[in-house]
Amino acid sequence: MIPDPMNHLPDEALNDILIGMGSAEAEKHLSACPVCRGKVEEFRSGLEEFNQTTLVWSEARSNAMERIHARPRSQRGPYTFVGWALTAAALVAIAVPVLRHNDGFWSNQKTAQVALPEDSDAQIAKDNELLKAVNEAINQDDESLKNEHQLLERPHLRLKARPE
Amino acid sequence: MGAYSSTESLNAVPRLGIQSRSIRRTETIGELDDIDGLVRNYRAKLLRFVIYSTGDLDLAESIAQDTLLKAYLNRDKFRGDCSVKTWLTGIAINLTRDHMRSAKFKFWKQASSQAMDVHELASFLPAQGSDPERQVLAKENVKQLSQAIETLSHKQRTVFLMKFLEEIPVNEISQVLNIPVNTVRTHLHRALHSVRSKMGASL
Repeated sequence: MIPDPMNHLPDEALNDILIGMGSAEAEKHLSACPVCRGKVEEFRSGLEEFNQTTLVWSEARSNAMERIHARPRSQRGPYTFVGWALTAAALVAIAVPVLRHNDGFWSNQKTAQVALPEDSDAQIAKDNELLKAVNEAINQDDESLKNEHQLLERPHLRLKARPE
Repeated sequence: MGAYSSTESLNAVPRLGIQSRSIRRTETIGELDDIDGLVRNYRAKLLRFVIYSTGDLDLAESIAQDTLLKAYLNRDKFRGDCSVKTWLTGIAINLTRDHMRSAKFKFWKQASSQAMDVHELASFLPAQGSDPERQVLAKENVKQLSQAIETLSHKQRTVFLMKFLEEIPVNEISQVLNIPVNTVRTHLHRALHSVRSKMGASL
């Protein structure tokens, strides 16, 4: 590379300077040539601006990550999963008998109407058992949610509500 | 990319003189013992590096966390031959490579792309004073550079990010990636040529 202010540095020499591997001759040319120096400075300032912006953005993301991970374990503890599991079980307990009970209803309403008297006592007793089980499951779910959110009953409030 | 395992990457560091290595190790040993300090000082940079390496925000968050954890758990393997930043970047590169090789990543890459939103990115620009024209130009510059980096090949992008975002010296890039200095230089030349032509600048 021959330093000649009249012949500006080729791309390769400019790239070497940007990489930090510029030859002594290229550096000498750069110090003497405002055009080439301007090109290098323009790229460096653009890169600096980009670095600052992306770092600020990334720090914001990183801080958001920290807030998520810093959330206390107790707030998303095992009771949450138990609550969801019980709710799902209750829904299944309701859905299965209802679907079985109504099987064929949509395809043939006449058949369904004729079949109604047949499943009276036995079916009602069975349904009642299921509803009782569902009720118990829901109550357990409520208890777990109370524990999870520390919604313990406060005795003084209960006393106020209780008639003398 | 160098053909070495994630475990080997912990030792894939540049060679320095024994004396300077010893000094650097003494300086950084406390830094690696402090997991909170590691997170505070390096997570954002690692996150940015991996986002641009993979184009996947969720994966980048996961890899940034894994990198810090792995570095902390293996801190006794740090020989002090390079800066902590270079060492962490090496670990992140290997974790990224492992993820990108997995079938799960390939599937999700096809299913959805969660690259950095350049419009959102531009909103994080530092204040440019009261000159609205300058603000617009700066936003455009950040958008163009971001898009230009995303179009680079994986190798070119890796060396470009290491050199120009992480400011890792070429000889350390060579050691971390296990490729000759001249190959790093070639990748950087090609990356710069591509970026500059896409930027449309006079440079």
